[in-house]
Amino acid sequence: MKSVAVPTVFIIDDDRGMRQAVQDLVESIGLRAESFATGQEFLSKQPTSNPSCLVLDVRLPQMSGLDFQRRLTEIGMQIPIIFITAHGDVPMSVRALKSGAVEFLTKPFRDQDLLDAIQQALQRDCAEREQQAEVHELHGRYEALTAREREVMGLVVSGMLNKQIASEIGASEATVKIHRGNLMQKMQAGSLIELVRMADNLKLVLRK
Amino acid sequence: MQEIKDRATQSGMDLDVEHRILLPDGAIKYLHAVAHAGRDSSGNVEYMGVVTDITERKRAEEERRTLSRDLQESNARLEEAQRVAHVGYWEWDLETGEVIWSDETYRIFGLKPQERPMDLATVREMVHPEDREALYRGVDVEIDAGVHPVAEFQIVTPTGQVRTVRAITSKLWGAMSDDPDNESSGKARRLFGTVQDITEIKRAEEAHHTLSRDLQESNARLEEAQRVAHIGHYEWNLIENCVTWSEELYRIYGLPPQKGTIDAATVLEMIHPEDREYVFREAEETIRSGIHSKAEHRIVRPDGEVRFIQGLGTVKRDASGRAYEMFGTGQDITDRKLAEQALRRSQFYLSEGERLAHMGSWACNLVTREIFHSSDENAHMYGFDPSQGPISFDSYYNTIFPEDERVLRPKLENAISSEADYDVEFRIRRSDGVIRWLRGIGHHDPSQEIGEYVGITMDITERKRAEEERERLRQLEADLARINRVNMMGELAAALAHEIKQPIAASITSANALRRWLAHDPPDLERAQATATRIEQDANRAAAVINSLQSFYRTGTPAERHIVDLKEIIGEMTVLLRVEADRHSIKIHPELEADMPKILANRVQLQQVFMNLMLNAIEAMKDTGGELTIKSHANPEDRLIVSISDTGIGLPAENAEQIFDPFHTTKPQGTGMGLTITRSIVESYGGRVWATPNQVAGATFHFMLPGEPEAHL
Repeated sequence: MKSVAVPTVFIIDDDRGMRQAVQDLVESIGLRAESFATGQEFLSKQPTSNPSCLVLDVRLPQMSGLDFQRRLTEIGMQIPIIFITAHGDVPMSVRALKSGAVEFLTKPFRDQDLLDAIQQALQRDCAEREQQAEVHELHGRYEALTAREREVMGLVVSGMLNKQIASEIGASEATVKIHRGNLMQKMQAGSLIELVRMADNLKLVLRK
Repeated sequence: MQEIKDRATQSGMDLDVEHRILLPDGAIKYLHAVAHAGRDSSGNVEYMGVVTDITERKRAEEERRTLSRDLQESNARLEEAQRVAHVGYWEWDLETGEVIWSDETYRIFGLKPQERPMDLATVREMVHPEDREALYRGVDVEIDAGVHPVAEFQIVTPTGQVRTVRAITSKLWGAMSDDPDNESSGKARRLFGTVQDITEIKRAEEAHHTLSRDLQESNARLEEAQRVAHIGHYEWNLIENCVTWSEELYRIYGLPPQKGTIDAATVLEMIHPEDREYVFREAEETIRSGIHSKAEHRIVRPDGEVRFIQGLGTVKRDASGRAYEMFGTGQDITDRKLAEQALRRSQFYLSEGERLAHMGSWACNLVTREIFHSSDENAHMYGFDPSQGPISFDSYYNTIFPEDERVLRPKLENAISSEADYDVEFRIRRSDGVIRWLRGIGHHDPSQEIGEYVGITMDITERKRAEEERERLRQLEADLARINRVNMMGELAAALAHEIKQPIAASITSANALRRWLAHDPPDLERAQATATRIEQDANRAAAVINSLQSFYRTGTPAERHIVDLKEIIGEMTVLLRVEADRHSIKIHPELEADMPKILANRVQLQQVFMNLMLNAIEAMKDTGGELTIKSHANPEDRLIVSISDTGIGLPAENAEQIFDPFHTTKPQGTGMGLTITRSIVESYGGRVWATPNQVAGATFHFMLPGEPEAHL
């Protein structure tokens, strides 16, 4: 974990009393909290780089909480969500959880349930962010490779031997060895296995 | 003679004898010899006498004797003849008035022969009173005119028997009629006559008269009957092959009646050409087999008119079995034939009409289960084929749906017992499994036998299906309306729940937060304070929602209150719910006090109250039917109490008060809000609503509205 910033809990509920109460409860355990009346309000705010989660009311005036969840996925904003609702039903909660919600709580809820869910959501967000950071780092390294090195890397992680790669790209085996050594160094991969894992994280589209 | 002579010789007596002598010429003479006996000297008997020829005298004596015997025999024969011929004679001596009757005359008058002497007065007395005067009138004149009067008259015998007699009278001029001179100059001294009993003859004559009259009448009647019935008869002489016709038969054939015979060929000529062969064949068959023939054929009259004839014939045979005559009748059945054709035609039109109209006609006795008439279409409607012979009442009746029959039977029984008409609808299942709806209308004429009905059957399947479809759509509409109402209530409830749950949930969460602020070390009192304030706000907010909900009912009500007539509202609701009530066989009885006080209220709210309570009552009886009674009365404190009772399922045994709770319902589609709203409205007027179970069945809902209407008026 590179960042040690205080995690933030975002709250979206059209009911002012409710969102203040939740914010108050979150703050009482020493977390940061920010509340919004609508999803739009939340989106218009600068996203934070700190670990965070979202406590989302299902019933919202313009766009329902479930629709808003989908919307966030669409725009690539990954944030763990805890749904709260005054009258939820089973199909609604199933749908929410399938779409990746951490928890689905019915108002009035036990404070500990909400706080546990928030902790879980924040942990998930931390892990998510770590992975994101790693992929980002790998991506930087990968970007630093030459076109030839990227080509060779692709063939190496597909399991080809140097000789095969040489014949594939129409170069000598010695040349392949040099490319291979360079890219291993640039990718900071200590072994072939490590390189394969990196390629996996980078979701490289491998030929063949 | 020798004996006499011997005896006389011995005794010396005188002789007086008659004897016959035979003369030498053979003639016989009678002699009378008388002799006196004396003695001669020697003492010998000596006779001296005379002999007289008495032949003449003897002959006269013999003649007289013969005459007398003949007279006696003649008299006896006369008597016998009189007796046998019932003819007697009589004599009447006009001078002495003496009357002499023969034995038979006595018998004719019913007396024993010569029972008593007769006189005129007795005879007169025995003549029938009706004939007495006529008998004696003018007899003298006729006698004097030399006529032998003949009189027929009735007599009455002593036993009261009436006899008819004929008397013929002639007159005698002298005692012995041996003085011819007296006849012309003197007066008749005696009347002589015969009397004959002609009772039997008269009777026979009368019988004969009657017979011949009857025969004539009978002939006349036959003629008349033939004329009226258009029946003539014929005798067909098979040997001569000629025919004798009765007058009517001539008329039937369009000919003037005439005597004599007609040639058989001429008769055949008059038969319609198309029927000739058939008639001829029938006649031959009858002559051959002896079976009575019966043939319907046409004839062509001289004027060309075609008539229908029904001919009957029978054959007479002689001892040898040879057919010599065919006797029979001919009847003009043209009118009947034409009527039959017309009837067939009208029956055809009728059955076609019935077929097109899906309507059958029938006549039957519902008590004896006899069918007098069932039109073809009627049979078709029940799925029967009328050409397969008559169909029994039970065959018809058994096609009726058992559950419909249970409803139908009492209706029919009721109609029969009250001799009334009926109009029923029912379903049948035909033998081919097809189900049809039929409507039967029966009419009973009270002059007919009990249970005798004529009527029609109509196939109303299409109409029923349309009705059912309409009913289904109506039901669907009602269901939709109900679901709509339920949905609306559901949404309202959900909205309310959300509105109230939000501030409460917020309060709870805030309370949790508050506890955590206080648990900080040191306790964060500032935050705790703020949180407590928010709890207060949220709780107030919840209360406000509830207040606003109440004011949803209350807001503005005082301004909307008007003087309303409860009777009018009950009337409106009754009309509005009648269809629903009828559908479940529920009767609505408003039993309202004549002078119900008017009250100040919101019309729509009161409509809602009645609607809820009446609908609940109907719901409670919808499976059973029953009665919905609305009663009202004002108590001394001017409180108006209205009761709505049903005869339905009644109240739940326990927690009867729960029925007024929100969302408490026993109905699958109920909102559970009806009674809650009702109570809310009634209580908004300061009134009260409650329910009591009925003694027999069902429940009664009461509501009381405080009055003081005068103050508001």
